[in-house]
Amino acid sequence: MSARRLLAPSAAQLVEVLVSSAEDAAPLSSRLRQLLIARLTDTSARAGGPRRRLDAFSVERDDAGFTTPFAWGTRAARRAIGTAAARGVAQGRHADALRAASEEVERLCDRAERGLSRPGSLGAWLRGEPAPVRSLCALEAATWAGGLLALVTPATQGALGVGVADAWFEVPGTKLTLHGRRDAIAAAGERRSILRLRDGLPGDASLAGLAIEGLVESLAAPTRALPARVVGAWPDAGVCLVMDFDEDVARTAARGLVSAAVRRCVVPEDDRLVVAA
Amino acid sequence: MLPRPAAAVTTAGPSGAVTAAAHTARVTLLAPGTDDLLAALRGTPALRPAVDRGQAGGLRALLEDGLFERLGGAGSPVRITTATIAGAAPVASSTALIRGALVAQLVRLRLAGVAVADAFDDASCALAASGRDEHLVALICDLDADEHARLGAEVMAHDAVLRRRLGAIPARWTPRCGLRQVISLAGGRVELRGFVDAALGAPGSPRASVCLLEVTTSSLEPRHDDVLSYLALLETLRTGEAPLRAAALSTGDDRFVVRDATPELLFGAAMSLLDLIERRERPS
Repeated sequence: MSARRLLAPSAAQLVEVLVSSAEDAAPLSSRLRQLLIARLTDTSARAGGPRRRLDAFSVERDDAGFTTPFAWGTRAARRAIGTAAARGVAQGRHADALRAASEEVERLCDRAERGLSRPGSLGAWLRGEPAPVRSLCALEAATWAGGLLALVTPATQGALGVGVADAWFEVPGTKLTLHGRRDAIAAAGERRSILRLRDGLPGDASLAGLAIEGLVESLAAPTRALPARVVGAWPDAGVCLVMDFDEDVARTAARGLVSAAVRRCVVPEDDRLVVAA
Repeated sequence: MLPRPAAAVTTAGPSGAVTAAAHTARVTLLAPGTDDLLAALRGTPALRPAVDRGQAGGLRALLEDGLFERLGGAGSPVRITTATIAGAAPVASSTALIRGALVAQLVRLRLAGVAVADAFDDASCALAASGRDEHLVALICDLDADEHARLGAEVMAHDAVLRRRLGAIPARWTPRCGLRQVISLAGGRVELRGFVDAALGAPGSPRASVCLLEVTTSSLEPRHDDVLSYLALLETLRTGEAPLRAAALSTGDDRFVVRDATPELLFGAAMSLLDLIERRERPS
């Protein structure tokens, strides 16, 4: 897998990369799709237990770093709220990200108040927090949304879908869910491009992570052509990686996903280091 | 020593000082300034300079060439942080760490437009919900009544400075908090890291409008100038456009310094950085 590297690109440059047309492509081949599902089903059947989620992090981090149970916090909540805030600003419903984020926090609290949120959801957590914490969540989310909106300024947002829903794929008959994150999508001719924001610096495994985002996108939309490219943006570092996506990349990503599934589902906790070595 | 542009502004207001005068370091008064931090930081919109997107590329090339000349091709990793630029700080006590963390949360609450009712309680609550600094949250829970009262009084005094200096920040200034900067140079061998407490102004406009704000509970010292230059440099490399200004506010002595992010300041910061890295890697 390879990618082009852009340093501190302007919004116009980045959008140009996202929307530039690519050669026509077919959807993900049914053979690769069925093979991947079969391998994941087999892995999941050997594991049993609770529902598991696999995403780019699972592949990139080799499942390290998830030793503590997830808990909501102002930082953990920022992308969920920030996505909605960025969408509100991009669609012209809000003049600034902070007001958009504050409104989203209120909406989530209201849903939780009316009993529409699941236990453990972001809305349920926000509802139980005092007003200053809710405001901080809005600020963190506005900061996150600002990072996204800086990459796709208002002049270029017409060509993009900003703050879109993530791609999800439930492996049929299993307790495995595949999660592909995407923060903006663009039409690149007949195909689509995906933009994904990340923290920190891109690492050695970042390309594998970007490939997973493209693969899950392909699985979630089986009749749509493969994504033209997956762009990872690291605003902290001012770096973007542009990966052209095709069937070969999807195949490599599928291998990585199956390996991650094996590590996550089958290998006992104590043996993970041995597998990693 | 970095070049000091004439447009840089500091104020030295003795009123409302939290730290005793004897504990407050002298700050060079660079130009007659205003007492309004936000006005000094944001300035007059019509007078803001145009964004030069070529500047970031030039600075990056300067750093890459300079690093190769000084360090050569291969070697051990070099990591520079804001603390490196500020000089080796003594190990802070747990009380100082808690105070710093709580004041950082108060800055965020001010940016979010929260009407802070009880500075200590609101900041503690925010810290607990941040999902970070869990050891500090545990330390706060372990404070006895006397320590709690003393720390509460200190935090309240720092918050009074924040209230006076930051006031109510409108949402249209696009306030942002906790911006991380990570710049990789020399093929990943050199890593520059920075952390900006607060930023105002939206990037992407034809004129420079992003303002960086660094808040410290310690007294303002000349080293904060170097930190501001460093943060402005990293922001330029990170976003491709130079910020308008960078400011440091001390909630300890109620002083602030504002620096224009001029090309001279950014060039000086880059050269100082190269010299610093050379001194660290080649002490002789």
